[in-house]
Amino acid sequence: MANIEIDAPGTSQLFIGNEAIARGALEAGIGFAAAYPGTPSSEILGSLAQVAKKMGIYAEWSINEMVAMEAAAGASYAGIRALAPMKQNGVNVVSDFLSNLVMTGIGKAGLVLVSCDDPSAISSSNEQDTRPVAKWLDIPLVEPGDFQEAKDMTKWLFELAEELGTICMLRSVTRIAHARGNVKLGELPTKKHKARFEQTHDLKNVMPTTLIPVPSPFRHFLLHMKLNKARDKFESSPFNKYAGPEKPELLIITSGSCWLYSQDAIDALKMRDKVGILKLGTLWPLPEKFVIEHLNKSNKVLFVEEIDPFIERAIMELAGNLPSDAVRPAFYGKRSGHINAFGELNPDLVIKAVSSILGIEYQARDVDYSNKVESIVKSNVPERTMTFCAGCPHRATFWSIKNALKLDGRDGFVTGDIGCYSMAIGPAGFFQVRTMHCMGGGAGVANGLGKLGQFGFDQPVIAVVGDSTFYHATIPALINGIYNRSKFILVILDNNATAMTGFQPHPGTGMTAMGEPTEVVSMEGLCRALGAQVKVCDPFDLKASTDTLLKMMADDGGAKVVIMRRSCELVRAKKEKTPYKVRVDANKCIGESCGCDRLCTRIFLCPGLVWDKKTGKSKIDEVVCSGCGVCADVCPQGAIVREAACLISS
Amino acid sequence: MAIKTKGCKELVAQVIETGLCTLCGACTGSCPYLAFHKGRIALLDNCSRTEESQCYDYCPRTYTDLNVISQEIFGTPYTTSEIGEVKDVVMARATDQIAIKHTQYGGAVTALLSLALAERTIDSAVVTKTLDDKSPSPFLAHTIDDIVQCAGSSYMACPVLGKYNQIHKDSNDRLAIVGTPCQVLSIAKMKAKLPENRINIANVKLVIGLFCTWALSPDKFHEFLKENCDLPKVRKLDIPPPPANRFDVYTSDGMTSFPLEQIRKFTMPACSFCLDMTSEFADLSVGSVEGTEGWNTIIVRTDAGADLLDRANKKGKLEVRKLPKSNLEHLKEAALLKKKRALKQIVEKSGSSDNLLYLGLSPELIETLLA
Repeated sequence: MANIEIDAPGTSQLFIGNEAIARGALEAGIGFAAAYPGTPSSEILGSLAQVAKKMGIYAEWSINEMVAMEAAAGASYAGIRALAPMKQNGVNVVSDFLSNLVMTGIGKAGLVLVSCDDPSAISSSNEQDTRPVAKWLDIPLVEPGDFQEAKDMTKWLFELAEELGTICMLRSVTRIAHARGNVKLGELPTKKHKARFEQTHDLKNVMPTTLIPVPSPFRHFLLHMKLNKARDKFESSPFNKYAGPEKPELLIITSGSCWLYSQDAIDALKMRDKVGILKLGTLWPLPEKFVIEHLNKSNKVLFVEEIDPFIERAIMELAGNLPSDAVRPAFYGKRSGHINAFGELNPDLVIKAVSSILGIEYQARDVDYSNKVESIVKSNVPERTMTFCAGCPHRATFWSIKNALKLDGRDGFVTGDIGCYSMAIGPAGFFQVRTMHCMGGGAGVANGLGKLGQFGFDQPVIAVVGDSTFYHATIPALINGIYNRSKFILVILDNNATAMTGFQPHPGTGMTAMGEPTEVVSMEGLCRALGAQVKVCDPFDLKASTDTLLKMMADDGGAKVVIMRRSCELVRAKKEKTPYKVRVDANKCIGESCGCDRLCTRIFLCPGLVWDKKTGKSKIDEVVCSGCGVCADVCPQGAIVREAACLISS
Repeated sequence: MAIKTKGCKELVAQVIETGLCTLCGACTGSCPYLAFHKGRIALLDNCSRTEESQCYDYCPRTYTDLNVISQEIFGTPYTTSEIGEVKDVVMARATDQIAIKHTQYGGAVTALLSLALAERTIDSAVVTKTLDDKSPSPFLAHTIDDIVQCAGSSYMACPVLGKYNQIHKDSNDRLAIVGTPCQVLSIAKMKAKLPENRINIANVKLVIGLFCTWALSPDKFHEFLKENCDLPKVRKLDIPPPPANRFDVYTSDGMTSFPLEQIRKFTMPACSFCLDMTSEFADLSVGSVEGTEGWNTIIVRTDAGADLLDRANKKGKLEVRKLPKSNLEHLKEAALLKKKRALKQIVEKSGSSDNLLYLGLSPELIETLLA
């Protein structure tokens, strides 16, 4: 990670977008930052946590986004500028709190929500545009178009939030969050933070109050006043700009990373003199006068944005309110089908839209050339599917789950959610996970399934959650299952890590974001206290794990818990040496013959095992194999041999 | 034998899902895809093999031409006799009365296996052991003590052949196998077409078949036992010969009887399609003697079987007598009744006497039995 705390105003630093946002927060003088990890947002809190002690601020990985947002609001109420960054799903989690927070207003210090969306759901279970949340909940919204803006906008939003007395939101996307660019640094504040909760209020901050409560409708009215004020300020914001001819043939209206795609597209088409680009940085409330002024420039307007037609709809609404004799341009975008309302955009897609609207013949690349490039690239890249790492305890867990469900024979299944273990919807986890929604969603879905006995339902239900997800979003579902006697097994895949987002600490790890040791919140202690039957298994003990699951499935009664406990292989490998030296005894391996049919390389599919077509035997890829030795228990012929690694090395 | 070899998918579709599976265990033990659990065979994953699949080949409920099997075991076509190929039929009982206490009827199987182990003509025996919870479990017995521990019948189906299949393929152990007619048939199929990647079938020196009218479901019947008896106290289960019509459970407190009808509903539905009451492809077949408590009927079918019985007799391990003619007639009557009943069931299930599901019989025999 870059040094986001470097005190060198005026110099340029290479930052990823997330670091630029963190730097902007530091320049704004935040004292408090809280988040739950989620790609593509994680590096914002991650980089702040690294410098927190040095900069005299507090940063935490909270148990979930809701608590992070609420904690940040707490800091704001005590006069400390606070930041809560999260991915799109986090915004959903906090929406109930937000919908109340906008009614009450924030404290004296600025409060900023950063939402990092993931168009194309590259690292997400869903694809979602969070900008409509800002409109829905009356939150002022900005979107940076490059790395400099990411820093500058963040800093400015704290001032704006304080001036308006309401939370402000910055929306970023993966290509801003994770791409890298030059950022010119500003000053770092030297003022010391002083926190105090004031019992009195002023008008813009309706809460906290010692007066009689203000009715919600009036507070809603006051919120609209704040939005009007924001609109006025946005009208003259330098983050909104136009570049292009005075009377372009086509006007592109865009924001965020799509601004960069649009510029590339116009350059590729060599149409800078014919196509103008109106880039909006302040998206909600829309700077209406500024927009209308530019809307008159052309009789053709193309909206280029990710993912929903957010600006498109807002401007079409605006156009609908123009005087009846006003000239209205033709609008192109998602509604017309020129731009996708799903997935990431790129310059090629923008070129396609512009060419189609302006009737230009444009071939980005010769088809033969494209095919040739593709075949050359493919020939050098080994084919890979998404899978668990060699030595991952999840593979062993899902092996036991699969076998237990098959042996049980009642067509049982697994409900799951988000994490590395989501891959169990595919071959990595033997296609075991059948439902996958939000964090903790599998446990909730299992609650319903587990109560369907009266309708003849007798399929065993296993809900899987990761350890971090257990703390984040599963505990109420478990309590519900225990209290209402829903028949399901909650399997906690406890690999002692928030592995998928980069090993951020959680309440099971005994470490805080700022590197301080703290007491572990025992998940088995918690589950037992709730009254659940709890078993702790080592997933590498396939037989014991399978037997435990089988026994629990056969038992009557409500929700039960199995904790499959073993460190993430990536965590273990950093601390310990390889446990086993694993090899295949070619004399014993029967390959595709009856009695095996390549169980290890056809079904178990650990990437440490490879099928040697020439010899018709399996072998170990020594570079990939982590020496966990689980495959030795999977091999039906005893052909996979594990020997204590220390014996080999000595 | 015009067998079209198939894989586990066909096994599941044609045998397991159609209710023909007898839980013999022949498809388990050496295959990672098929496993026995709680009264059924589970398919854990799809095997991609479509030819030379031993699960399909050795299943007693996939197509089996009895003439071919008989030719392999006895060197003659399948007999029209009610009780299969016979060298001799006798009644016998063990002389070791202490051992008899634990056994069913005359303790002949225990005495024969003990002798074979003592004489070192076998090294181990694949048998069924009743566990402490009274559920049957496949067991590899190595000592006479082991054998005595496994005496007695649980009347429940037990996938004994899975234990045989688990024995390492390079093992030199000479084996005996004690099984029900379906299991004996499966072993005969292995003898007719040698298995791969499993212990050599030639290591099996002795096959003792048990008389069997039906087996009970190891899942459902065990549940029934659990609900109605104090399992740790159960010592022995017995079905006394007709007309008793009882199922007796001996416990340390005494005996409890259930009407046989109540127990019959726990029989494996697959057993109703079985024509073989006397384990026709065994070396020796052993059952009770109707009307005479404490004795076994033994059908001697092969030289190996005859030799062992002869030695047991000469060494005083078994007391052997001629089986009264009326008993033999009765046995044949019962065996024929089972054949007729089962064949009728098969035709009913398949819908045509041209389709006998798994059974390959000569047209003449079919006609005789259906008459």
